[in-house]
Amino acid sequence: MKHSLKIGVSGVRGVVGQSFTPQVATSFAQALGTFVGGGVIMVGRDTRPTGAMIEQAVLAGLLSVGCKPVLLGTVPTPSLLYSVYRERARGGIMITASHNGSEWNALKFVDRRGLFLSPVHAEELFDIYHQKDFPLASEADLRRPQSRAQAVTPHFERVAGYVDQAAIRAARLRVVVDCCNGVGALHTRPFLEEYFHCSVVTLFDTPSGCFEREPEPLPENLAALGHCVRETGAAVGFAQDPDGDRLAVVDESGQPVGEEITVALAVHAVLTHHGKGPIAANLSAGMSIQRVAEKTGCELIRTRTGEVYVTEAMLRANAVAGGEHTGGIIIPAIHPCRDSYAGMAVILERLALTGATIRQLCNEIPRFALLKDKVPIRPEDAAHALRNLRRAYADSPMQFMDGLFIDFGDRWLHVRRSNTEPVLRLIAESATPAESARLIADARQALGLTTA
Amino acid sequence: MNKLRLASFGMRGFIGESLPPELVIDFASAFARSLAGGRVLLGRDTRDSSTMIHAAVTAGLLSAGCEVLDCGICPTPMLQYAVKRYDAAGALSVSGGHTAMGWNAVTLIGPDGAFLEPVSGEAVLDSFHARDFIKRNWQQMGAVVPITDLATAYFADMLARVQLDAIRAAEFTVLIDPVGGAGCPHLTPFAEQLNVRLIPINGQPSGYLAREPEPRPRSARQMASIIPFTGGDAGFVLSSDMGRMSIVTETGEPSSEEYTFPLIANHVLARQSGPIVTNVCTTRTLDDVARMHHAPLLKTRVGQAYVVSRLRDEQAVLGGEGSGSMVYPAFSHAFDGFMMMALILEAMAVGNCTLSTLLRALPRYAIVKRSVSCNSRDGYRAMETLKDADDFATEARIDVTDGLRMDWEDAWLHVRTSQTQQLVRVIAEADTAARAEQRAEEAVRIIQQAL
Repeated sequence: MKHSLKIGVSGVRGVVGQSFTPQVATSFAQALGTFVGGGVIMVGRDTRPTGAMIEQAVLAGLLSVGCKPVLLGTVPTPSLLYSVYRERARGGIMITASHNGSEWNALKFVDRRGLFLSPVHAEELFDIYHQKDFPLASEADLRRPQSRAQAVTPHFERVAGYVDQAAIRAARLRVVVDCCNGVGALHTRPFLEEYFHCSVVTLFDTPSGCFEREPEPLPENLAALGHCVRETGAAVGFAQDPDGDRLAVVDESGQPVGEEITVALAVHAVLTHHGKGPIAANLSAGMSIQRVAEKTGCELIRTRTGEVYVTEAMLRANAVAGGEHTGGIIIPAIHPCRDSYAGMAVILERLALTGATIRQLCNEIPRFALLKDKVPIRPEDAAHALRNLRRAYADSPMQFMDGLFIDFGDRWLHVRRSNTEPVLRLIAESATPAESARLIADARQALGLTTA
Repeated sequence: MNKLRLASFGMRGFIGESLPPELVIDFASAFARSLAGGRVLLGRDTRDSSTMIHAAVTAGLLSAGCEVLDCGICPTPMLQYAVKRYDAAGALSVSGGHTAMGWNAVTLIGPDGAFLEPVSGEAVLDSFHARDFIKRNWQQMGAVVPITDLATAYFADMLARVQLDAIRAAEFTVLIDPVGGAGCPHLTPFAEQLNVRLIPINGQPSGYLAREPEPRPRSARQMASIIPFTGGDAGFVLSSDMGRMSIVTETGEPSSEEYTFPLIANHVLARQSGPIVTNVCTTRTLDDVARMHHAPLLKTRVGQAYVVSRLRDEQAVLGGEGSGSMVYPAFSHAFDGFMMMALILEAMAVGNCTLSTLLRALPRYAIVKRSVSCNSRDGYRAMETLKDADDFATEARIDVTDGLRMDWEDAWLHVRTSQTQQLVRVIAEADTAARAEQRAEEAVRIIQQAL
């Protein structure tokens, strides 16, 4: 199957060898350099085998418009974002297709706050890209690139400084981490050992970018992690995605708790040990986080799906924690971005301070049956399908913030276009798996798509 | 606007104007296609823009699945030497060479270490223009392998071609000015192996060019002014890629770059017979040297690619140009500054004489170089006018191998449009300075009238 280039709010993404070429990467780097007006631009990448090639193209593009690229090498996305903020860089580029397969790669654009470009700014960037009229720097104005070793250290110190490091160290926790052969393979063991004195077992810990499990930390992809947690008697299992922004937890019995419970767990930990305040989550993040908000008496702000929408809402509301249903935990006091390291730290802290098990902690959070599904769809057919759905559910309360969100009170259905793939994402939540499955099946029928 | 120049063996443009990274990626991708994504050597000089172009080239080569042996900062001739040694399909050099700050170039090198042959080069240009590239997926992606041990083998192989003991015994003091370019890191090892006391000028790698990078007497002023006080036996002024060189004698006389090749030819032909190759606008001194040694002298278009190509076809013993360059095929297929220095020092050591004595042995003519500003469209018309000019052209022998060459009994004149600037370049050489001056003046006047 041929994949065309996808230019959107999550950056520019494509399959290398098809639409994502070094020429595209260099032009986008030139566009970002032009957009931010020169200066220091941080560049990081994940472990994908195409990352080194794209990095060189980005380097050339940034230099050509007079920027000073600082290469951080293979680092987690949150480390890059924090570095941009901390070092007052003009911007950043992260080379990662996150949870997509090895054949994909992408550029994600970062503003001077260390946040992904807002949709409005992203559009301005794309305008510059399409006009291709980059002001090239003369030889005398060219800057020299720099490479930065140990670029994760300031980020990790920031995370460790947020939690009760002494308590975690004293608890001597045993932890299993599934690094998905991504950036975690380089950085997560030292993070847990040096900062938290954990006893660490790692899985999929070759930084090769060849993913030996499906890169999304979905429950069904975490069998090996669950097995290893049981075998080693670990207190918790953590699964990262290839660029280290998303996290999923496996409990002490080896059972994945699910990404939305992982987020609820981390948010609950922040609200309990670091003070209350508003929280934010996207529409798909489910009813569990809503119950956490209700239980702690905190306001929950719902946003569209997409990290930028959540972080922007959080900054506006001064939120203390939040996240996305895909296991993206955001703690603005560390840095307002999805950060698996922040997530691991607050969950370890909660284990240490309460002496409870993951299972016990999860039991404090009401659970529902969340079911996710996706339907391949040509972009031109998506609007029509969504209209069919709207007609079919015309009697139910709806929100149009992001695709279609239908709220039935004790259950809900969310259907939206993916920001990253040519698919419709269907998410339903209710009290029982059977009920959720029925919601999805009904929705598929209402979309007017025949595929099973 | 300084325009992009494309040739079958490379591309040259001006930073900030005509050499954006996207075009460089295209060009590298086109080259990679012609090599079917094989092994490629890559090197660059020290200019800041070379870092940018190096990155763009790397991206292009990797995307086509090439294995990139990255020599980092590396003189072009050293890179050319390495192609066969590393069994590479080709090499790519990023260097501004002798051109002024702001210019930079990508040079393509074939599997034998010479500039890419026109036939292969045309295939590169075709795929460049059609944007027809190999695009590898993530499993076939190329990889970069850093190469750091190149110099040792290069110098060992080179110095096996000269009488090293004689040079070492002479204990020369030598001034070398590599204009802060790619040669800098290699001067000390080179000097140590020759047992030479080295006095470097502009010897630190630098993105900034401390002088005009073209080796000419006016670029040698700095060296000429200090050499007598240092007890230096020889001074060498090089381009930033180590491909061109001019000489300063022990007395502080900067010699025209035209005499670099004749000087070496006079030395090499004394022990080795065979044809030599040069371009159509090199000094008559070389004709005299060839005649003295009964060596056939073959003439080609201007440029390393043409000279080396002919040299290989004719199995010549030596090639070179009046720009201050020489190729010694016993060692490599590159214009090589290090090889030139080694051969000149050998000539001094073996002959037990000073550099100025060696130079005095060469017949001398007076050379005048002029330029007329003229855009590239009008260059051809200017030359046609000159060719047909009454009186001026009637008694001359005309040669149009490259530009226009006119020969008279006592003088010759060569007119050619510049590759880098909006100029027509005029070179005149004659027995006397007055005669050369007169020929050049006449030509300039006729060209200016034509425009």
